Amino acid sequence: MNVFEIGGSGADIKDYYDIVIVGGGPAGLTAAIYARRAGLSALVIEKAIEGGAVTQTHVVENWPGEISIEGQALAQKFADHARHFGAEIHYAFAQKAYVEGDYKVVELDDGRKVKGRVLIIATGTEPRKLGVPGEAEFRGRGVTYCAACDGYLFKDKDVVVVGGGDSACDESHFLAKIVKSITMVQNLPYLTAAKVLQERVLNNPKIRVITNHVVKEIRGTNKVDEVVIVNNDTNEEQVIKAEGVFIYVGLAPKTEIFRGFVQMNEYGYILTDENMETNVPGVYAVGDIRVKNLRQIVTAAADGAIAVEHAAKKYF
Amino acid sequence: MGLLAEKDRRYLQDLFSKELQNEVKLLFFYDENCEYCDLESQLLDEVKELSNKIIVEKYHKNSEKGAEYKVEYAPALILTLNDGKDRGVRFYGIPSGHEFGTLIQDIVTFGKGAKPQLSDDTIKKLQSLDRPVKISVFVTPTCPYCPRAALTAHNMALASDMVSAEVIEANEFYDLSEEFGVSSVPHIAINRNPDRYFIGAYPEPQFLQQVLELSK
Repeated sequence: MNVFEIGGSGADIKDYYDIVIVGGGPAGLTAAIYARRAGLSALVIEKAIEGGAVTQTHVVENWPGEISIEGQALAQKFADHARHFGAEIHYAFAQKAYVEGDYKVVELDDGRKVKGRVLIIATGTEPRKLGVPGEAEFRGRGVTYCAACDGYLFKDKDVVVVGGGDSACDESHFLAKIVKSITMVQNLPYLTAAKVLQERVLNNPKIRVITNHVVKEIRGTNKVDEVVIVNNDTNEEQVIKAEGVFIYVGLAPKTEIFRGFVQMNEYGYILTDENMETNVPGVYAVGDIRVKNLRQIVTAAADGAIAVEHAAKKYF
Repeated sequence: MGLLAEKDRRYLQDLFSKELQNEVKLLFFYDENCEYCDLESQLLDEVKELSNKIIVEKYHKNSEKGAEYKVEYAPALILTLNDGKDRGVRFYGIPSGHEFGTLIQDIVTFGKGAKPQLSDDTIKKLQSLDRPVKISVFVTPTCPYCPRAALTAHNMALASDMVSAEVIEANEFYDLSEEFGVSSVPHIAINRNPDRYFIGAYPEPQFLQQVLELSK
């Protein structure tokens, strides 16, 4: 990332936009680009930094045209692109969304309210919790879900990374440059990450991979001291000394504020038709938040484009 | 070569010329045992060049000014209006990475009279506080959730004379971070009590609720 990121501007927002987008990740920002190019006004509401989960990704190597790019740099390109075409980005948490006549209204935590003809939900996912004893207790006392944020706080320490997918492998590779040692604990008998990512982990002398084990408990006094893991076949327990536990065991949808507003599946992912429209006319869902098979930057961006193309014809 | 990229420089010049209505004073405090003081000093020189409304003053941490503003660590950066009144908005550690964006937002807010960018409800609740509240937001430059927490805290300081808010770079002040048990950022400690803290970027009403509860 840049040594000095300039962040978003302090410009104020208007009361109405043709398209209001909640979530400034690849799906939301692509929707904004397509909206502006269709001549529609567009506001993106972002709770942290534009780019979404991409900002926390060490490197991205599957976005066409970029062989290998830092997540933060790619996120910045998306945001610059959207701004270039005149999309506005406002930093706030969406708190509530509802229909008012022909309009969709979104209430924000800073007391503002914004109206849109069309609402696009692009709130994405957050790291799934492991759900073991000690996890909540030691959150912020050694347990973390963001290597980009917290990695350097574990300089020269022993850490455990839980998980064996793309994120777990990519972030372990990143952490290995900072920490003393990494023990990866994966519940399945094999890693599930893309082969290229697996090889990086398996060839790194600082990383030890333990498969076919589940985490039973995270223990410590005031902060994390050790992680107890169990062999799936033998039930044998093993204690790993560690000061940090990085958890990458999948994703959970961030749809809470839309519960009861649009239809979701039992896990909280939003149901849409092939145009990305939800059961509420004029309300779309795009990116990781949607029920779909492949959650990637490239599929998120595609969703954003499809939604706006459809909305532009149907509602404007 | 400058620290800021040419394209960012132009963007910021444009932003400041549009947004800054009054002068903003940045008080910078340094000392000798400080890894990033020179870099921050250079950064502020570059920021000052972006607008004639931005004034930078530099003092030694142990100077009279340092005592007046009760500066504990270096580098420290305190934002004020032209009157120099300490409104409780400061950074310990260089505002780099995503935190540079926090500084930019702060400058814009001060450039419009230092009015808190918060909902009326939050401002009202903060103004009825009857006890001093110090908010310490531990951040890292690579944390995308930190600027929101940092800005919320800084704006709360602007809402009430009872509230002060310091943004602390956790990597740079490693010992302090250890003392407060910081292992995940943003980590927000209240009244410098290591046992009174919350973690994560909260929406404004929930952030306020935590601050009020933990400061009791």
